[in-house]
Amino acid sequence: MEERESETSNKKKNKPWAFWSWAFASVIFRLILAYFPRNLNFSARPEVSTPLTSFRRLAEGYWLKQSSMSPYAGSMYHGSPLLLSILGPLTVRRYLWTSVNCSDVKIVCRYFMDGNEGLPNQLICSLVFVIADFVTAMLIRSTGLNLQMAYNQSLKSLGLVRLLENSELILSGDIAALVYLWNPFTIISCVGLSTSPIENLVIMLSLYGACTRRVPLAAFGWVLATHLSLYPAILIVPVILLLGYGPDAPPRKLLLQKFRESCSCDCSSQDKEQTSLHKELANQSVQPMLFSWKPVVFFTLWACMWAFYVLVLCAISVKQYGGLREMFKRTYGFILTVEDLAPNIGVLWYFFAEVFDFFRNFFLIVFHVNILFMLLPLAIRLNHRPCFLAFVYIAIASMLKSYPSVGDLALYMGLLGLDQLLRISIQLYADMQLSFFLFCGYVGVSLLSPVMHNLWIWRGTGNANFYFATAMAYACLQVCIIFSFISFMKTLTIILVVESVGAMLNHDRKLRKLSATAA
Amino acid sequence: MAESEPLKPKPRPIVRIGIFLISHSLLFSVVCCAAGVVALLLLPVLAKNTYISENALMPGSAHPMLSSQDVSEANKFVQDITILNLKSTGASIGIPGMVAQHMEGLGAEVSYHKFHPELNKFHPLHFFSGPDHGKIQENWTCSSYGINAVGIIRAPRGDGKEAIVLVTPYNSLKISLGEALSLGIASSVFSLLTRVTWLAKDIIWLAADTQHGEYAAVDAWLRDYHTPIFGGLETLNPETCQEISNSYELKNSPVTGADISDVFRRGGTMAAALVIKVSDRSSEAERDTLSIYAEASNGQMPNLDLINVVNYLAVHGQGLRVKVEKLWSLHDSMLLKVLGQIFESIGKVARKLNPEWKFGVPVADYIEGTATLASSLYRQALGVPTGSHGAFRDYQVDAITLEISPTFSPYNKGRKTEFLLRGGRLVEGVVRSVNNLLEKFHQSFFLYLLTSANKFVSVGVYMIAFALLVAPLPLVAASLYSDGTKQDFSSEKDKPTSSSAPVDAVSFKSWKWLHAAKTVFVVYIWSAIVTLLPYIISQVPDCTPTHSLIIWILLSVFSLLFLRSILGFSFSFISVSQLQDKEWALLKSVTISGAFVGLCLMSIINFATAEIGALLIVPMCLMATPLIFDVKDWSLRSLTRAACNLLLTFVGFPPTAYIVTKGLFEGFGSVNVGDFWNWAESLWMWTSATYLYVCMVHLPCWALCVYILLHHH
Repeated sequence: MEERESETSNKKKNKPWAFWSWAFASVIFRLILAYFPRNLNFSARPEVSTPLTSFRRLAEGYWLKQSSMSPYAGSMYHGSPLLLSILGPLTVRRYLWTSVNCSDVKIVCRYFMDGNEGLPNQLICSLVFVIADFVTAMLIRSTGLNLQMAYNQSLKSLGLVRLLENSELILSGDIAALVYLWNPFTIISCVGLSTSPIENLVIMLSLYGACTRRVPLAAFGWVLATHLSLYPAILIVPVILLLGYGPDAPPRKLLLQKFRESCSCDCSSQDKEQTSLHKELANQSVQPMLFSWKPVVFFTLWACMWAFYVLVLCAISVKQYGGLREMFKRTYGFILTVEDLAPNIGVLWYFFAEVFDFFRNFFLIVFHVNILFMLLPLAIRLNHRPCFLAFVYIAIASMLKSYPSVGDLALYMGLLGLDQLLRISIQLYADMQLSFFLFCGYVGVSLLSPVMHNLWIWRGTGNANFYFATAMAYACLQVCIIFSFISFMKTLTIILVVESVGAMLNHDRKLRKLSATAA
Repeated sequence: MAESEPLKPKPRPIVRIGIFLISHSLLFSVVCCAAGVVALLLLPVLAKNTYISENALMPGSAHPMLSSQDVSEANKFVQDITILNLKSTGASIGIPGMVAQHMEGLGAEVSYHKFHPELNKFHPLHFFSGPDHGKIQENWTCSSYGINAVGIIRAPRGDGKEAIVLVTPYNSLKISLGEALSLGIASSVFSLLTRVTWLAKDIIWLAADTQHGEYAAVDAWLRDYHTPIFGGLETLNPETCQEISNSYELKNSPVTGADISDVFRRGGTMAAALVIKVSDRSSEAERDTLSIYAEASNGQMPNLDLINVVNYLAVHGQGLRVKVEKLWSLHDSMLLKVLGQIFESIGKVARKLNPEWKFGVPVADYIEGTATLASSLYRQALGVPTGSHGAFRDYQVDAITLEISPTFSPYNKGRKTEFLLRGGRLVEGVVRSVNNLLEKFHQSFFLYLLTSANKFVSVGVYMIAFALLVAPLPLVAASLYSDGTKQDFSSEKDKPTSSSAPVDAVSFKSWKWLHAAKTVFVVYIWSAIVTLLPYIISQVPDCTPTHSLIIWILLSVFSLLFLRSILGFSFSFISVSQLQDKEWALLKSVTISGAFVGLCLMSIINFATAEIGALLIVPMCLMATPLIFDVKDWSLRSLTRAACNLLLTFVGFPPTAYIVTKGLFEGFGSVNVGDFWNWAESLWMWTSATYLYVCMVHLPCWALCVYILLHHH
């Protein structure tokens, strides 16, 4: 967050090398941090590695598999078998290396005591995550460029050329990419060897594919993301909207209504030349708004194909260990039933540790349906801004998911940067009065959380409520950020009806004023 | 923006309250700060009597079983030790062996624990790494090692999963009479406990060899106890120390004759630990005195129930006088006397109005309470443990040190027996209570301050004082922030909103704080560098403390200038013209927010540090205004403000703050500038969070305040 100012300054300079130098600086910074794994010990933090993303668990799963046991034995590993095949060899090389020197008992001992033996191999592992982060940032950047082009086009069709001049100053993709790369949470989850950079990568791959209308890529990203962590399945809505409608644009209703309005008032006051011009523009702008079914059908076909492919691969790799049924039970089942109640920054562990057993199923359903309930209203309200919709979905999922980590936060912060810049260009971002408060809140929570954890686990003077308090504060901040943005996006949400109405009026008024001055 | 304002719906009441508070932040902050200080001074009045919260403890419910038989045996043991000490001076061989033999004679499992004292060294990354990582010791010197003798009684009624630890520190090179007596007390209790049938927890007696420091010995034993390394002493010894092992074998066999195992023996999880000490100085009071020391590292305290049990048994069972540490220099403070009288008279008035109100204490009690509270705050704030009980707290074991000061002259034999009996019965009672526990200590408080041995202030009360003190910070930050933004509105209104007006300025309006945040960020990075500098400076050989301090300060200043030149000016996206003279307001707002976050964090880690720090930081932050305005104004009000600012920043600088405080308490004659270096050194040696607080919260805040004071546009 602190680094955001540097990015904003970059953008003002508008030099291409500035972006690349900052991007490479972030990569080098990561590698430097990765060199001190023992001292920083991020991988042991509950905020960074959850049961799903922990690299140590992955190593354990691979070890079990190598010794021809089910990788899911003993409730240690809960990820995808494909991840095991891809990342597993990286972990094993270093354990093989130790096994040359020591007896079997010592390997196990060492393994449990310290997951960071063998520095060179450890560096290779972190290199994989650094590359994943970098690629994600590049995808965010090109998505940003793409969005901006689309937005400029829609502004042109609205006749707000003056706005366009400003927005040319702002390379939204660059900033979003740098926000992603320099976000401390991204860095921590990358250095802490959690697999969330890879999850973020596939999610971003899907969004990028949808934005650039590369249907197979979008389908591939979506299928893999769903396979890895289940929750990105809800992204199918924004992806389909992106493919159907194209990237974010001002609402269609606004376009139609406003031009009718302005036409009618212009007719009375101004000469006919302009009126005809407006009509032309209005005709132009209505045209690309139709929902095109073709890419959506393609997407469905490709998604089915990829899903089939992934499942076949999984089936091959878990054939001896109970087959696909076991895999679904141990991965999706583990996510949905919230079996691991170890503390994390989410709110579910506390709740399910307290709840009586006979209510457990009921509340499991309630919590998971909570996410699904929000899908439809948001999709209806935000169907003209699929990218923003994707941001909201990811943010909501990262708040309500069963094992959240700061890696999820990193992704939606990056996407936030993407939307943010669009917002700046329409001057709505100026209304972001809460920015300072949110910033302080994030700094405070990210510092408080380890302290509370220490107080509870190591010192024993606090208790679970201390840590849970920070988890709640964190959730509140997320709610704040989501709703403040949604309300800016003039969405009627049940909670913030009053504010959002105000923001909607504001936004309309502003657009009208601007189009009037432009005309 | 101006047009849209009337359209906005009326804010909800809570928002309106917020706006009201923000607009009256000056009044509010003065009231809050004053209330915070008054609440702090009221704490001794508000202290409650302690009570035993855990029912299972049942202190004093059974008759003490310690007989004169046990005591006379212990007395003989003490005599043997003193004779041995006189006989073989310089030979460190005898006493551990003798203690071990005695333990074995009592029927316990005995083992030796050989350890290498770990030199406390400042390692910069230790602060950030996890608390429980295995420490790897590199270069053990073979010459320095100590030997602890450990005896374990297996409980006849227990399953061996829990244990109670008795620690008697003694110097094996030259044992003093007090140390011998403490060994005697432990031995008398130990001999009783080998026979009793009610024991449900293992008893571990650790005779800690303190020739390399008391804390080091206990800490080494605890570390080995909790580290899963199995095997005997030989496996622990590196091959290079062959001759030492040999000498160890030599010493082992002839003294004891029996085969005392050198395998590291363990009991169960520790439920509680008592460090027993006997003071060499005899107390002036007419009764034997028991001093309780409880502060562990970073202001952690053992569960209050443990102190309560000891206090109850000592006062009601053995008739000892119990005291906790006090700041004696506060005793003759006139100010406190006046305050005490005021509170007493208020209490009298309150009681007249309603006899139910129990408010106010006598003046003498108030002064006593304040002196104890001040000492309690100071010890906790320092973050350095007050004894070897501190080592236990790192493993979540509740432990206290009991130091008993006898009244008799050391050669009075009859009194000595009585003394041993009393001490033994006290320890026996405590062990018996703790033995009753079904769970870990959890019922009573962990976060408290003592105002006397039987009065405490709980977290719920003392947090109020702190909360009042820091409450103005977010409010003032918010008001300054809204000021900084409002300035913009007005300036925009003044300008005709021509189409050529820079749209960036409008859109970045609410992001203007980023510029201030950048400055603050640079200063915090600098503070991290300052924190790590002593690591380099301490490598310099033959450096007096004063020189080290001067090098530290100089290097800090250079690094600040360096950072400023590379980070401070390389990018600034808002041109100066836009910022106008309100820049300092935003900067102050961000500074205050940083200080607020830092103080809140610290209040969780170590409350006492945060409280003392808040007393210094909060006025400094709130007062800071650019001096140039005051000088321009040249009125009485602004001049007093400038003077206050200068005074606060002078006092707020950590070395001067330290020296002034020390001078006030101990007289300015003995104060040396280098003392601050020594003090800081002791803090990082003990990895105290206070060091981090001073360097990473207080110092940057101070630097930013100075920056604001010197601000010019």
